[in-house]
Amino acid sequence: MEAALNGPPEWLERMVLFAIPPAAREGVAGDLWETYQNPGQYAVEALRTVPFVVWSQIRRNLNLPALILQSALIFLCCGGPTTLLALPVLMLREAYRPITRPSPRRAIREAILLSCGAMVLLLQIMSIHSPFPVRTGVDPFTWLSLFLAALFLSPFLCLFRAGMIMQSDRCLPLSASDLPKDTLADSYERFLRGAFCRNILEGVALSFAAVSGFFFAWNALLIGLFVLAAIYLLLDAVPRPAPACDFVSLRARYQHDLARQGQLRRFLHWLWFAPVLMVLHTRLVSGDTSPVPLDSMVLASLNFVAFAILCFLLAALNREHGGRVQEQIGLLDRMRETSPPDRALT
Amino acid sequence: MESLGQFEQIVLTAILALDDNAYGVTIHAKVEELTHPKKTARGAVYATLDRMEDKSLISSWLSEPTKERGGRSRRHYRLEKSGEKALKESARTAQRLIETITRGLGGLAWKPR
Repeated sequence: MEAALNGPPEWLERMVLFAIPPAAREGVAGDLWETYQNPGQYAVEALRTVPFVVWSQIRRNLNLPALILQSALIFLCCGGPTTLLALPVLMLREAYRPITRPSPRRAIREAILLSCGAMVLLLQIMSIHSPFPVRTGVDPFTWLSLFLAALFLSPFLCLFRAGMIMQSDRCLPLSASDLPKDTLADSYERFLRGAFCRNILEGVALSFAAVSGFFFAWNALLIGLFVLAAIYLLLDAVPRPAPACDFVSLRARYQHDLARQGQLRRFLHWLWFAPVLMVLHTRLVSGDTSPVPLDSMVLASLNFVAFAILCFLLAALNREHGGRVQEQIGLLDRMRETSPPDRALT
Repeated sequence: MESLGQFEQIVLTAILALDDNAYGVTIHAKVEELTHPKKTARGAVYATLDRMEDKSLISSWLSEPTKERGGRSRRHYRLEKSGEKALKESARTAQRLIETITRGLGGLAWKPR
């Protein structure tokens, strides 16, 4: 115990904390501290432990359908070698997924950074293709559209991101740290009902999207994915009552279902965006003909901006939603059972 | 029913033996005691605990932070009903194995250590 109170040097602990995935950090770092003897032993123990923990977190958080979809999109856009390089990064990203939502300040900063980048690109196009005096570039109407897009992109993205943050704040169903079992069971029951309705609705919407995909000549693989996802959601959507068990088991089931629904949503977000991303990519590589007379460079730049904004929106959606799920799981982790309030007295 | 691997059986037995005091450090110590003289990496215990939690054989929660852990919480583990059931089934299989081996190796002359 004496040794444990003298913890590891701060710099060493910071390095170890950085290496441990956030979801396991609290328990594993605490255990390493508790068994601390000297910096060497601490470092060796951390080196022996962390790889297992990272691998375990990859296995736990890996969303295989989403990973396949992401890899396919990267493969289509950037080719095989980039996909091979991106795969380990994507897998490690799963292990080190944050357990909270991104801070509002950081979220807005990212939106501003992206819009600034897009603005620079748009302004560059405008300066090269200025219609005053008229050169072989864009017409004044398109030039004005680009100007307005550059002007309003930043406020639009910031507002959108702020809206997402506010929506997530409203959606957190658990706020108290300690609950009686009945309240937890009610909350779990509400969550199950919500998940059931959402899965039914999304299953039907995916079926409609798959049918309309035939008319819009979507990729057959994509239509197949939509059909499979719709069938899965409709088969999976069976109304289940909250099981009758003690507080700890109920909490574990709640956490399990929260994580499962979170994984499902993450895949579905990617699936919904996939057709648009594929269309944009096709236009990027083929320089598709446009009703507006633009040269291929301008069109490619515009498509690139649209692609980047779409990826940003998708990532923001997933991080906000995933962070909310992780926050709820963390909240449940620390929850204690309290005795129910005496109704006769209230 | 979920069939358990040997290491999973050991970790579940450790949790069962430790009762309310089952968390990373104590589980690892108990596992080393059960597998003596073989050494076990603590990381392997964490990975197994995660896997069994995903299979709903055990459940976990965080305790209050303590000073001797640098202000960090312990992640406590507990057997779930399905875990108890799987462990009982494994014990029955082990019992049958011991009986068969004892018979095969000359009755009472051989005993498991």
